[in-house]
Amino acid sequence: MERQEIIDGLVEILKTVRTIDQTKLVNITEETDFIADLNTPSTEMINIAAKTEQKFDVEFEDDDIDDLGSKVKDIVDLIIRTKEKG
Amino acid sequence: MVSGGRKVAIVGMGGAFPDCKDLSTFKQKLFNGDSLIRSWDQPIAHEKNIRSTVSGYITEEEMGLEAIYSTILPGYPETYIDHLGRIPDSNLSTADIGSIWSMLGTQEAIKMAGWSTLETESEQTGVVIGSGGAGNTILRPAWHNFFELKRKSRLAGSHTVDRTMTYRDSANVSCLIKNRGVCESIGSACATGLGNIGYAYRLIKFGLQDRIIAGGVEGTSIETFAGFDAMQVLSKGFAPAQSSRPFDMNRNGFVCSFGCGIVALEAYDIAKARGANILAVIDNYHNNSDGDGNMFFPSFSGQKRLWKGLMNDVHIKPDVVKVHGTSTPVGDAIELLSVVDVMGDKDYQIAAPKSQFGHMLGGAGAVELITALMMLEKQQVLPCLNAEQLNPELEGFQKSADWEGPKQPLAAYRHLLSPQTLDKEINQIVCLNYGFGGTNSAMAISRDH
Repeated sequence: MERQEIIDGLVEILKTVRTIDQTKLVNITEETDFIADLNTPSTEMINIAAKTEQKFDVEFEDDDIDDLGSKVKDIVDLIIRTKEKG
Repeated sequence: MVSGGRKVAIVGMGGAFPDCKDLSTFKQKLFNGDSLIRSWDQPIAHEKNIRSTVSGYITEEEMGLEAIYSTILPGYPETYIDHLGRIPDSNLSTADIGSIWSMLGTQEAIKMAGWSTLETESEQTGVVIGSGGAGNTILRPAWHNFFELKRKSRLAGSHTVDRTMTYRDSANVSCLIKNRGVCESIGSACATGLGNIGYAYRLIKFGLQDRIIAGGVEGTSIETFAGFDAMQVLSKGFAPAQSSRPFDMNRNGFVCSFGCGIVALEAYDIAKARGANILAVIDNYHNNSDGDGNMFFPSFSGQKRLWKGLMNDVHIKPDVVKVHGTSTPVGDAIELLSVVDVMGDKDYQIAAPKSQFGHMLGGAGAVELITALMMLEKQQVLPCLNAEQLNPELEGFQKSADWEGPKQPLAAYRHLLSPQTLDKEINQIVCLNYGFGGTNSAMAISRDH
């Protein structure tokens, strides 16, 4: 799965998270920070993680979620890493 | 012994009401003598597993709302959309349906009160709203996911706590209006609505706050309904409009309903100084407990002490007594006899608005206080529907040797209940509500002279 394809999928998820300002969901890049750039409440990160698991058919380890950074590239990396583990 | 303190005014109101699109429709239907009770498809879907099928329920669609269900958890309302654009999405995401009604009622009450943004966001502005039950519609699918389906807790997302915690209604309203004063909730079962307003009244009376958004709510929930249905205390066997029949001989239970009542309270002198429209002045509030160790059975002596406390150092001579009047066999009999014992049997009327919309549980006291505000404004007494015949025989407990109350059967007081809306000069109304645990509450309100 290409990284851009994952980013596009993440944007689709973010559109369903209503605490995020939807007008900010343009030009999302790997460097976009969920908290600093999108003003995502930190409590909302677990919603994003759970929806990501469903959308990309993966199951994250609890420790990986605990250590997850707040940039788009962090979650892209985690998805790829988890998929590689099988 | 309580005395002194500041005078408190009611300057705004709002809420959510069964089968009504807004406050003015609610008022119109009430004074028309309409019933707001309907057959409800949700219990009907459970067929023989549930006894009662009537309710004063409110759908999301009727409130201009829509639940967005989780794609991960079956049946979990992940958030709501406000199709009328009244509540921001971020506030909706932390709210259950009752909290959303509370926010909508608050917007309406503040608009009516005419509070400025500066006043609303002040340290002297509080929020005190309570609910009878938990956030059941959120908890059920979240718990089912974890306990029955054995899936990860995180699939329910991060909002099961804020959407179900005891003071979720106050918390959501406070986050919406950004007040800087008190934010908390009082819980007292079916006295919750009046209890929160009574507590708010005291905070203003004793100078701790200048203005408060106060009220009670019970969000539509089949889970809540099923709990009461299991107790065999809900009305059964009547057409919807005839199901709630306070004081009638054939009453057999209450109608489990849902709704929200919010009022804006303000220190009288401050409200008067800014030229606010005073809907009513609160003369007094009193609450107590039965003290008999009984969770459910109403107490004649507890209610008598309630009146005594309400009348302590305050002129109480109501033209209308707005009773709790649930349509339960014992509750109505004890209440009517305790009112008559204190008030006698003439020169006032009894209003029983649950006959029109059922029992809104944690919302009841607040919505019924709103009906009292409407009675003051319209100078009309709301009817007691379906009280077709009162018991001509003595109640069983009246025959006991230690009974100290009125010795006449309920039918002797038939004239206090009107089957239709009644014109009457109304200067003062006493509102009564009681709850499981033996809690009793009373508030007297008057026209501003």
